[in-house]
Amino acid sequence: MALRNAVLRQLRVPVQTLGMNQSQIGFLGSIRSFSSNDDHLSREAVVDRVLDVVKSFPKVDPSKVTPEVHFQNDLGLDSLDTVEIVMAIEEEFKLEIPDKEADKIDSCTLAIEYVYNHPMSS
Amino acid sequence: MVSRSEVLSLCRAMLRAGRQYPHYNLREYTKRRTLDGFRMNKNLTDQSKVNEAYAEAKAQFVVLERSVKFHSLYPPKTKNIMEVKLQ
Repeated sequence: MALRNAVLRQLRVPVQTLGMNQSQIGFLGSIRSFSSNDDHLSREAVVDRVLDVVKSFPKVDPSKVTPEVHFQNDLGLDSLDTVEIVMAIEEEFKLEIPDKEADKIDSCTLAIEYVYNHPMSS
Repeated sequence: MVSRSEVLSLCRAMLRAGRQYPHYNLREYTKRRTLDGFRMNKNLTDQSKVNEAYAEAKAQFVVLERSVKFHSLYPPKTKNIMEVKLQ
């Protein structure tokens, strides 16, 4: 234990606080180096792309598509159409949605939430 | 007794398998044909007919998986024109 402390005393670098004023800290606080979170899609981009996928579905009337629309109740689709739409969303965002989660997605809101919260969407 | 969720799972599994073909035309055909096939039988009410249709689809799914494997052995050498992005 004493040996360890002696070695650490040699190795430890003396620390000095830099004493920055408030404005400098604010500037440096906004730089995030090595942050890997910036390449995640913005919510707007996710909404736009999901709505494009839904609008390009042949059975859907594009004017009725909003970010809150429900596939079966509002757009008059059936469960097979929902499966098709979820597959199209998987292809658009290069995801693999497991069956359990895919069964729950039956509206645009849920689709947008799922894609936005998935770490691998691109 | 085949349930609704099993049918949807099988549909999804077939669509996913069809996506793995390297050939554009086979991919599109599989997508079109599985959806048409499931839609054709979607209004069946007699449970025995439903089970029959499900068994047929399951057999086709086995064939599809095998077909994907050997079509992947000989992928096309050039990109299909439909896969080229419009510029």
